[in-house]
Amino acid sequence: MSEVSTGADSGSAGSVQARPLTEAQAGIWYAQRLAPENPAYNTAHILWIDGELDVAAFVTAADRAAGEAPALSLRIRDEEGGPQQWGDADYRPAIEVVDLAGEADPAASARAQMRADYLSPVDPGRDRLAQQRLFVLGPQRFAWYLRVHHLVTDGYGMALFSERVCALYGAADAGSPLGPLAPVFDEDTAYRASDKRVRDAAYWREHLAGVPAASGLGPGFAPPAAEALRLVRPLDASLRERLLATAARLGQPWPDLVTALTADYCRRHAGVAEAVLGVPAMGRLGSASASVPAMVMNVLPLRVAQSAAPVEEFVRSVGGAMTRARRHGRYRSEQLRRDLGLVGAQRRLYGPLINVQPFYQPLLLRGVTLRTEILSTGPVDDVTLGFRGDAKTLLDLEIEANPSLYTPAQLEAHGARLPAFLHAALAACDAGRSLDEVPLATPAETEHFLYAVNDTAHAVPDTTLVALYEAQMAATPDAPALEFEGEVLSYAQLEQRSRALALQLRAQGVGRESVVAVALPRSLELVIALLAVQRAGGAYLPLDLAHPDARLARILDSAQPDCVLAFDEAAARFPGREVLTPAQWSPASQATLIADVRPQDAAYVIYTSGSTGEPKGVLIEHRAIVNRLEWMRTHYAIGAGDRILQKTPATFDVSVWEFFLPYLCGATLVVAPPDAHRDPRAIAQLIRQRNITTLHFVPSMLSAFLAAPDGQGLSVQRVFVSGEELGAELRDRFHATVRGELHNLYGPTEAAVDVSYWPAGPDDRSRPVPIGFPVWNTRLYVLDGRMRPLPPGVVGDLYLGGVQLARGYLGRADLTAERFLDDPFVPGARIYRSGDVARWREDGAVEFLGRSDHQIKLRGLRIELGEIEAAVRSAPGVARAEVMLRDERLVAYLQAEGGSGVDEQALRNHVAARVPDYMVPSAFVALADWPLTANGKLDRGALPAPAVHTGESAPRTPTERELAALYAQVLELDVPIGAEADFFGLGGDSLSAVRLLMEIQKRWRCDPGLGALFATPTVTALAALIDAQPAQADHGLAPLIRLAPEVSGPAPLFAVHPAGGIAWNYRDLARALSPARTVYGLQSPALDLAEPLPESIDILAADYADRIASVHPAGPVHLVGWSVGGIIAQAMAVELEGRGREVGVLALLDAYPAECWRAEPEPTPVAALRALLAIAGYDPEAHPELDTRERVIAFLRRGDSALGNLPEPVLDGVVRAVTGTNRLVRGHHHVACEATVLHLRAGRDHATRPHLQSALWAPYAAKVEAVELPFLHAEMTGRDAVARIAPLLSQQMSRHDGLSGENT
Amino acid sequence: MTNVTNAMPLTLERMRADIAKALDESPEIVTDDENLIDLGLDSMRVLVLTTQWAETGIPLQFSDLAAHVTLAGWWQVVQRLQAGSAAPK
Repeated sequence: MSEVSTGADSGSAGSVQARPLTEAQAGIWYAQRLAPENPAYNTAHILWIDGELDVAAFVTAADRAAGEAPALSLRIRDEEGGPQQWGDADYRPAIEVVDLAGEADPAASARAQMRADYLSPVDPGRDRLAQQRLFVLGPQRFAWYLRVHHLVTDGYGMALFSERVCALYGAADAGSPLGPLAPVFDEDTAYRASDKRVRDAAYWREHLAGVPAASGLGPGFAPPAAEALRLVRPLDASLRERLLATAARLGQPWPDLVTALTADYCRRHAGVAEAVLGVPAMGRLGSASASVPAMVMNVLPLRVAQSAAPVEEFVRSVGGAMTRARRHGRYRSEQLRRDLGLVGAQRRLYGPLINVQPFYQPLLLRGVTLRTEILSTGPVDDVTLGFRGDAKTLLDLEIEANPSLYTPAQLEAHGARLPAFLHAALAACDAGRSLDEVPLATPAETEHFLYAVNDTAHAVPDTTLVALYEAQMAATPDAPALEFEGEVLSYAQLEQRSRALALQLRAQGVGRESVVAVALPRSLELVIALLAVQRAGGAYLPLDLAHPDARLARILDSAQPDCVLAFDEAAARFPGREVLTPAQWSPASQATLIADVRPQDAAYVIYTSGSTGEPKGVLIEHRAIVNRLEWMRTHYAIGAGDRILQKTPATFDVSVWEFFLPYLCGATLVVAPPDAHRDPRAIAQLIRQRNITTLHFVPSMLSAFLAAPDGQGLSVQRVFVSGEELGAELRDRFHATVRGELHNLYGPTEAAVDVSYWPAGPDDRSRPVPIGFPVWNTRLYVLDGRMRPLPPGVVGDLYLGGVQLARGYLGRADLTAERFLDDPFVPGARIYRSGDVARWREDGAVEFLGRSDHQIKLRGLRIELGEIEAAVRSAPGVARAEVMLRDERLVAYLQAEGGSGVDEQALRNHVAARVPDYMVPSAFVALADWPLTANGKLDRGALPAPAVHTGESAPRTPTERELAALYAQVLELDVPIGAEADFFGLGGDSLSAVRLLMEIQKRWRCDPGLGALFATPTVTALAALIDAQPAQADHGLAPLIRLAPEVSGPAPLFAVHPAGGIAWNYRDLARALSPARTVYGLQSPALDLAEPLPESIDILAADYADRIASVHPAGPVHLVGWSVGGIIAQAMAVELEGRGREVGVLALLDAYPAECWRAEPEPTPVAALRALLAIAGYDPEAHPELDTRERVIAFLRRGDSALGNLPEPVLDGVVRAVTGTNRLVRGHHHVACEATVLHLRAGRDHATRPHLQSALWAPYAAKVEAVELPFLHAEMTGRDAVARIAPLLSQQMSRHDGLSGENT
Repeated sequence: MTNVTNAMPLTLERMRADIAKALDESPEIVTDDENLIDLGLDSMRVLVLTTQWAETGIPLQFSDLAAHVTLAGWWQVVQRLQAGSAAPK
């Protein structure tokens, strides 16, 4: 590397010796090295030339200027000790003349060539860093293109160079040449070693103490794109004149005035109290670089806080800050980031850049007209708001934005909004007002986002729910109205029963504005009660019996219902209240009921969590809910063919549309069994078996539903979600799993369920998923702190207006006045302050962003932290309490009176008696002192994380060790978990508990159950429980497995495998027996490929009898067998009796004697495989698509059934067992046994084989006791069937045990 | 700032007064050889002054003033430009 002269004609430019990069260059060098493919560091512009250009003279001028600017000939190379640069005359950008005049569209061709050039990555260690071309477009039209890498010059240098070329063009005396480069480098070297740099560092350290995080005009961070979005808007003369006049009046440079106002514009968009902007500083004043193209510019951070002071004062203060910053402006911002530890792409020092370039004058070239077009000014991290020009003749607003963060439409909007804001801010300044008084939205935006987006007027009949559903009842009396657990009521029956109860309520004085409490679980009676209360004229008040008595009592005291409708067993929970149980309800009446309900009467009252500790009763009138339901019916075309699932608890207002929408259109309401709403499998079964078309999920439940295998491939007309934020990922997962529409709805109880909607279809790519557009006759406002509408993209408070608003909070005029305000934009109307923060999208959809107050949502449940705090405070000895949501857990902080300690368990019990379980904090942290912020407020951020009680002793057994690791994995804890650690104490909740159980099932092939986990949540106890489960080392396929812990006393039950050879399916049944009893599963030897297939059922039965003898050599035994297992069980009874053993209960679950199958063809291998689905707990009929071995196995593997995790050879064993056992069945001939057969028939099955009846067993048993159950064959060992079978079986076995006890 | 004022040729005293005004100081502070950056002048103020002074009819540019930031230095630049622009074009 040698010293290279930069050329004879370089005049004063001299030569550049090899030397290290300057600080300014080094930052760019490393950034480019980190993203070598990114061409964004190419800066480029075009000068469009119209007129008679002397091309030869221009070439001379351009080449001479290039000679005067050695920076453009620099080369850079990595050396030991860092990158070095030197001048190389061969790299000087001599201008290249490109004649495109013959092209069809010369300008387009030129543009394409330029684009290809500046969008190509440059390797600064190899490639030329600068290039200039003169495109000849025609005799009078030219384009001069200049592209330079940011490493060697900045924008000021580009302007200097262009001006120099223009000055040199055909001029005898061209003025001073460009300055030499070497002194610029020397200056940098000197500064690096100077005291000045130390003082600058100290200034910035002090100035930036406590600097807030950077944020852009919108959310998010993204690496700069190859090409930024650009928008140029000339500012009109009136704005320029006002700017200059105001600046002159204030004695401030106009660039600082415009920077200050723009800074506040940016701060407001970010929605923060203080913003940090970047202000480019050219660094030329008093510098050797004053007339040198070089990379010198720096970006200085500017802190701007919200100000209530007059604009003038604000501008002076920001101007002062900028002046001080410039004095220390040589200190590099890259270094500042390092000083502040802001490392990594997402941790920036400043947000938007505000770049005023007053030095940028229009270029002049003798004899021609010129127009400059900027192509690229370097990478744009977020957005740059530029002002280019002298303001006197011209000022262009030039916005450059990162296309990953901004759309062209957003740029357009800023292009109009920012000038309007500057106009208004200057006017405010001249009027002595503050910036706070200047609205952010333009008048056009104000008009649009107040009125146009809320143009939702729609004619809806002014009527009541009662009138609407009574009309429907009269119209379709025979149509099915209501289904619950196999029972169906027609519209006429529903009319009859609800009318009878309504008349009875009337007789008791219920009428308009009466409140009747309904404390019924999901049932036919619940629906009848809701209709009856309204038909009587009253409003229903739903109560959840799972809530503690104290809370129910507070609600009842507040609402003062006329009576309570509840089942007998719950009546005792309402002391002193009149309770009407369904047994007392009049079932029918001939009397007519004259509806006497008006649209303005109350339809229902739903209590929500209240911040003061008192739940608040939201009162909704008929007119409001009629609007909501009529909108939904019409908008989604819901009609008589629909079957709507009712699974939302009545206390959650989503249930309101589930309950009533069907009755506005003749559809059928299918009521899910109590508790089914938490069980993905039960929901999937309901959808499939009850042909549900329409149902609702809270997003977190939808997530759990999609995670379970049961939802795979499900098809449903439409799914609504609401109650909490629908994540984009969840939307996408829904469409990958389920075929059906997905609709996102939003609304508080205070506005009749939902006020906005968004179709979250498979093509929706929105992130976040919006809450969407207002429903009929509804207004959404996003307002700032002064109740002014905000433009799109800016976060504000969401207010709701329109016909759906609640009348208010029952009996709480004070609370009502707090939240329901006069609508400032519609005279005489009201709005509701939702407490949610939101922002508009350009298309008029709203995005929900969270809560502004103390209310939170935890898995869709609305929680006022104040209510929990009140409950904690009411505990004895608690002086003060604060509750927070931390990492999706509720944590209570409290201070005990007199600094004494608190008993956490006692406290937990106290709180659990006052609030619903989901509101009980998972941790209680006692504090001696409260951390405070500088202004004396509680510093929530400084509250300690709850101590994690991880247990003291290390896990001892292998099971404990593995389980401890699972706790840590599921709870994402990074600490060792001890033997005493409590799953819930570690932060576990019901959702993570389900995940833990899935893991346990995967690992140990046993499911201790949620109940067991709640009862024994410590590592030691749960490990003991797991160890007590049968040893299933070899995949649980041993010939004899224990399905429930051993219990001495009652005779054991042996459960015989069905065709698949596996007996795991009896697990639920085994654990549901009461009293508990030892249960063994018998599994087929055919599962082991090494074992020969048994030759007959009788041989198999003898083998199984041997196994029984091995674990239970004497005494009576009970047998149960499902399907083929029943055939084997009967044969075993014969065998055991032959050996003198007593057989107690012989329970056959939907099994039929062997001869029924003899004529049937043998199952094909695929049919056998499909039988696996039933064993894994799926309904094979629901999955016709699984028609090959691969598909069945893939389906099982996708799910989390234990079967799906079996290794391949074991699955082969299962397939062999299915085919082998079926063949044995065909060859079997039954012999009668002495035992009584308890036959449980699957009553909902066998439509095509009606001959399959319990009585078929009569020839082979002493007696047959037949019970028919409303299930399918495949469901007989499932959870729901078990709920019916276990008590029956338990009772029979106990009776038999008692009898044999007497015998002995 | 009116056209009448701007049309008048730039003088040393007007430059001193303009600088003082930009600094919100009295003109006595702005001596001929004082470093104007040390007095608090910054690039944006110099740019605005450049524009104001160019309006008197001289082709003054920021880069002409940026290298040597004293009133005496600037007066030299201005005088040279005034001499150049006085010549017939």
